[in-house]
Amino acid sequence: MITRFWAEIGTAILTLVFGLVIVKGSLEFGIGWDSSGPQPGAFPFYAGALIALASLGTIAVTLSQRVVGRAALAEAFLDAERGKRVLSFLLPLVAFVVLSVTLGMYVATILYLVFAMRFQGGYGWFQSLATAFVMAAFFYFALEKFFQIGLLKGPIEPLIGL
Amino acid sequence: MDNVANLMHGFSVALTTHHVLLMMAGVLLGVLVGVLPGLGAPNGVSLLLPLTFSMDPVSAIILLTSLYWGALFGGSTTSILFNIPGEPSSVATTFDGHPMAKQGKATEALSFAFLSAGFGAMAGVILITLLSGWVANFALRFSSPEYFAVYFMTFASFIGLGGASPFKTVVSMAMGFALATIGMDSVSGNVRLTFEFDVLLAGVSFLIAVIGLFGIGELLLTMEEGLKFEGVAAKVRIGDVLRTAAKLPRYWLALLRSSLIGIWMGITPGGPTAASFMSYAMAKRSSRNPAKFGKGEPEGVIAPETADHAAGSAAMLPMLALGIPGSATAAVMMGGLMIWGLNPGPTLFTDRPDFVWGLIASMYLGNVVAVVIVLATVPLFASILRIPFSIIGPVIVVICFIGAFTAASKEFDIWLALVFGLVGYLFKKLDYPIAPLVLAMVIGDKAEDAFRQSMIFSQGSLSIFWSNPLVSTLMAIGLALLVLPAVGSAARRLRGAKAASTV
Repeated sequence: MITRFWAEIGTAILTLVFGLVIVKGSLEFGIGWDSSGPQPGAFPFYAGALIALASLGTIAVTLSQRVVGRAALAEAFLDAERGKRVLSFLLPLVAFVVLSVTLGMYVATILYLVFAMRFQGGYGWFQSLATAFVMAAFFYFALEKFFQIGLLKGPIEPLIGL
Repeated sequence: MDNVANLMHGFSVALTTHHVLLMMAGVLLGVLVGVLPGLGAPNGVSLLLPLTFSMDPVSAIILLTSLYWGALFGGSTTSILFNIPGEPSSVATTFDGHPMAKQGKATEALSFAFLSAGFGAMAGVILITLLSGWVANFALRFSSPEYFAVYFMTFASFIGLGGASPFKTVVSMAMGFALATIGMDSVSGNVRLTFEFDVLLAGVSFLIAVIGLFGIGELLLTMEEGLKFEGVAAKVRIGDVLRTAAKLPRYWLALLRSSLIGIWMGITPGGPTAASFMSYAMAKRSSRNPAKFGKGEPEGVIAPETADHAAGSAAMLPMLALGIPGSATAAVMMGGLMIWGLNPGPTLFTDRPDFVWGLIASMYLGNVVAVVIVLATVPLFASILRIPFSIIGPVIVVICFIGAFTAASKEFDIWLALVFGLVGYLFKKLDYPIAPLVLAMVIGDKAEDAFRQSMIFSQGSLSIFWSNPLVSTLMAIGLALLVLPAVGSAARRLRGAKAASTV
């Protein structure tokens, strides 16, 4: 179980690192003044510095609340049951993204919808396959034919002549 | 009365069959987006935006704004029937709307919600009609320092009035600004902050951020809570609607007060969500029997709905006249305007009057169309929510990622949407406000240009922000917004401490 305290601290450290990365990246372009005005790095430098400082602020506030013993911080951020529900949704979602960039978005859509309906929703094969193919066909006709926008395609579409 | 003549011209632009059909399509899509969890107004607009690139800007903005009205209405439908707010701004509607529905007064609650929402929206649009020309004229006097001061004011009010931890608001806002600087720098021609990754050359699109933060993030949160839709069935009969409409004038004070709150929160970047909560609280406090609130009091539906829609439409005023969006959805639309090659701000009124007034006229028509359509289609959309989440959820995921890809046809954007989704989930759970991030991403370049040009005028001295009465006033208001809430809470704490010590 993750408590709210650790979630707060962890997120603040992440944003702190993001801020420092921006600061470091900005320093390459100069943050001072040259003949054309402020150098290109100046604005992102201050933005990055603000992120870092405010993240430190959040860490300080969270730590001081812990010292005072604020009850909300000890509450669960994510318990086992909720974590399982999130993961059961997140993992197929990540798989969908990976499939999209390898097999193309239409194939990924069909596989993902069939998986979610058949194995997570408990629907029959027929219903799952029908829904998935209808959705994919809908996107194909709406995007490629009507709006003339191509989606990411993989190795399978050319085989069936799409 | 130039504005009236302009508005009439606007109606001639908006009242074509093509545009009225677009309005209806937009409202229907909007209600759908508003009803479905995980899809809200900001990412509904983001998903549709790439499809409008080939359209004429007037048609495109009519479609997008109509989607926005539809989404606001759709959000209230689920609040009342299912006790699940489809939009953050309709949370306050659940307090009394759902109890009313459970008492068998679903039609009455829905009619009150839609009619008062229509009233609020009209109030907002009338304000835009009257003031926008004047504000734009005034803003023509602005140069870079004034613009920077206005941006400063916008973000100061987020930090001061936002209600979230000021540190978290600053993190969110500055992340938006930092993300906006990635890629080509338009002033120096340098490529910044790409860390040698070629995929970052073109920058990070705000569309991807919105789709990830609002769409994927929201879905993950919905999933975690193990959402179940247990709704109240609703049939909307015309007779009931008319009977409710006849009762509406009784609540004229609530309507007026809520419209004013909504308009104020819409123009300042408080946004519809804050407006609806504030309006609900005010209605409860000023009511003769506050105990009835939360148990199905019609005024508890009317107050947040009116304010929500008044704020939603009033948010278009600063976007059009100043180039500063008043809400996350307005920010996405403003980004769209820039992609279509328009320059939001005072010059838009002189350069493209047909666009501006066509849009304003379409807001009158769009809201009327929206009220009619939404009343007619409530049973249909309510039945959509009876489809189990194990189908709806994955379909929304697919729509979000396809939308992310169509924004620029880049494979990298799909990964980016996933990252933003995880960040959105984390931020939402920990009460980081997300709207400032989106606003900062959209106006980041403009704010940076304003800052750099001001610095060039003044040879690097910050005193330029106090160099004339106009810019000093704007900066002073900004500082006041930033500091006053902190002073206020400190004073309250002091007074509280004193009161405690005297006991």
